[in-house]
Amino acid sequence: MKHRRLIAFALLIAAPYAAFGQETLRVSAIPDEAPTELQRKFVPLGAYLEKAVGKKIEFTPVSDYAATVEGLAAKKLDLVWYGGFTFVQARRRTGTANPLVQREEDAQFHSKFIVSTNSKAKTLADLKGANFAFGSVSSTSGHLMPRYFLLKNGIDPEKDFAKVAFSGAHDVTAKWVESGKVDAGALNESVLQKLLDEKKLDPAKVRVIWTTPPYFDYNWTVRGDLDPKLAEQIKRAFLALDYSKPEHKVILDLQRTHKFIPTSAENYKSIDEAAISAGLIKD
Amino acid sequence: MYTFKAAPISPPRPWFLRWPGLALAVVVALAYRGAEGNFSALFSSSARETLFEFLRGFWPPAHSREFLSLMLRPLVETVAIAFLGISLAVALALPLSILATDAKALSPLADRRGAARRFAYAAARLALNLMRSIPELIWAMIFVRLIGLGPAAGVLAIGIGYAGVLGKVFAEIFESLPRSPAEGLASTGASPLKVFAFGVLPAAMPLLGSYTLYRFDCAIRASAILGLVGAGGLGLQLELSLKMFAYDEVATQVIALFLLVAAADQASRWIRRGLQQSKGLLRSSLPVRAGSAAVWIACCAAAGAFLRFPISELFSLDAAKNIGSFAASMFPPDLSLPFLRSLWPAVLETLSISILGTAIAVVLGFAFAYAAAARIHLEDGTAGRAGFRVERLLVHGISLLARAIQNLSRTLPELLWALMFIFVVGLGPFAGALALGLHTAGVLGRLYSEALEEVPSGPMLALRASGASRSAAATFAVVPQAFPQLVAYTLYRWEVNIRASAILGVVGAGGLGKALLISLSLFQNHRTLTLIAVVVAIVASVDLFSGWLRRRVLEGTPSRQEARAGEWAGPPAASATAF
Repeated sequence: MKHRRLIAFALLIAAPYAAFGQETLRVSAIPDEAPTELQRKFVPLGAYLEKAVGKKIEFTPVSDYAATVEGLAAKKLDLVWYGGFTFVQARRRTGTANPLVQREEDAQFHSKFIVSTNSKAKTLADLKGANFAFGSVSSTSGHLMPRYFLLKNGIDPEKDFAKVAFSGAHDVTAKWVESGKVDAGALNESVLQKLLDEKKLDPAKVRVIWTTPPYFDYNWTVRGDLDPKLAEQIKRAFLALDYSKPEHKVILDLQRTHKFIPTSAENYKSIDEAAISAGLIKD
Repeated sequence: MYTFKAAPISPPRPWFLRWPGLALAVVVALAYRGAEGNFSALFSSSARETLFEFLRGFWPPAHSREFLSLMLRPLVETVAIAFLGISLAVALALPLSILATDAKALSPLADRRGAARRFAYAAARLALNLMRSIPELIWAMIFVRLIGLGPAAGVLAIGIGYAGVLGKVFAEIFESLPRSPAEGLASTGASPLKVFAFGVLPAAMPLLGSYTLYRFDCAIRASAILGLVGAGGLGLQLELSLKMFAYDEVATQVIALFLLVAAADQASRWIRRGLQQSKGLLRSSLPVRAGSAAVWIACCAAAGAFLRFPISELFSLDAAKNIGSFAASMFPPDLSLPFLRSLWPAVLETLSISILGTAIAVVLGFAFAYAAAARIHLEDGTAGRAGFRVERLLVHGISLLARAIQNLSRTLPELLWALMFIFVVGLGPFAGALALGLHTAGVLGRLYSEALEEVPSGPMLALRASGASRSAAATFAVVPQAFPQLVAYTLYRWEVNIRASAILGVVGAGGLGKALLISLSLFQNHRTLTLIAVVVAIVASVDLFSGWLRRRVLEGTPSRQEARAGEWAGPPAASATAF
């Protein structure tokens, strides 16, 4: 019975890990901006959620979009800030990923195509032969929807662009276009506005040549097997954020919105179809 | 190092290495086209501007307390990952290498080898080759997918990748030792296990230890870049700093990495010298040996605790299910014609990058080596020192400078150079080839200079005695003698470079890496399997071709090789496989 001791020892090591999951809510977000930015945006929101939900909140910044999808599927994450495409991926992986809320602007989101002010390009068609930067491979506003709309407008990125690069994040795409490392790029309208507002991007060096039609994008999603009461609490906490209250205003300003609205999985059917049509999902 | 046997006439070279090396020139030219080579872009004004921007931004390096404390953890993580990874690699490599050794070396008196033994031999060799042929970065990307982000993925990536390398060399070491101690023991009737433990292992241990230590600082460099794909260590912060143009932060991290690798290199060199001078690995008493083993295990445990290595998670049922379902989802590999056709340009690009990069490295490396090999410029055959004092100082000074540049080039991993060259010449394979060339120039420079300095000095002294100038004697008497060895080192580095070329695309520097990044991000696991298979196929082909060419260059045509059979060429760690 020498195995008895081994099993007991293994249980002893495993026990703390088992207990851990219940007490903390493990939160993450897609790394569409620098990790320091993600942390900065989340701090007051995390404090607010901790009080509203009565659980400790642990925010883990990750460096890879797909890791957030894997994390939810492997039950290592409970609540994740997804883009439209990453939500679709998570939904396909788990079948039960449940989107709770989104910012009111996320129901009508746009991507912007930018070029350097030195460039002569005026329309999408002028971008043929350019070096083009998408954001991350898994980004909705940085890759999927720009690619989808390019294809709809008769431009195939693989054939019509000289080089296609993936910058990994929206702020990096903006910097690459600003400094001339690439001729053009596509990025998230909200991040572009933020960079211009915070003077991190020189408006004299980049200009927008095209804006995409609207689509559904970001959302806060919980894993399907999370306690439904807990999910309800989280949802109500978000919906209760009120811009007129100064302590909520801080949170909402960092999230770049005025309020959160409920969302559901049906809203992302069109994203799913766009992904299949753009060749990013094979059915 | 390569010990020259008494073979004054070098074997006839294959036709494409003879002057003027026409076939070689054609191949390099094709590679230049294939890698979108554009030297004018390298020397253009915008490239110079970017270079100045770099240099201006590097000084002063970021030294705010905040940043330095931010960097501390990734740095220690890098070392911990390398240490734990190499330990895992040794643990995996030893049993595999024993199976992968020709049974004759282990049980010399056995008349026949059973079918099971032969099967184990083939399976072990195949496993080791697979583990070696997949670059560590790709292993890291797979493990990140399997067990999540974090240093654990890095440890496993280095563990498995290096197990393949170490296993093959261990097996070669076992096979190349003199057989008489094992034969003696076997003839007394000892069991195969005892024959191995007491007849083979003691002689092998110093070589095993020495090679493992050598590989340790390679592991540090490897683990520094694994962070680029989320597997812990310095790489993540480095990539971020570069992408956000924070050059001062980049400078600090580069300096830190440089110091780290230099320290590890020096430490391993001391230990290796001690090993060489002693008669065996730890011939001391049992308590000392047990104590050393305990220290090693304690260090592993400390590293594991620091990295928060999730041992219980890794061995859990969930993890097994995860790995199983991931493996199952990769079959069958995506062999659709459109996909394969889209891969073909990337395959050619990968090959071109490796060839152009190696070619650049040869030219640069030779320039470094010629400058660094001070001895060939100063030796005079006289008992006193040659040349005027100023001349000697100058030669030593230039040699020191060349060595310093070599060290810098070698220390920074190819991916890091690639990230920087992308800024200078733009995204694409040329940046990758330049990065490969610069990094390898540092490696080859050191190897070349050692080869040049170890050449027998007779011909050079003869030329000097007949009135030739020092530089003429150095060029015409030294280089031709060292030529076969230089070619062998170059070919060996080509094998290493093809692995690097396959992953440069992950950061946008051309080749297959980009396709792999996309397939992993989009969970297209069938394509991932195809891509891995393609990488393995390319690497294996290059290994085979390069191995054949090396044997031809070093040992001549098959008829000549037969004439030399039966001579013990010394432990293989002294030959080109030592790095």
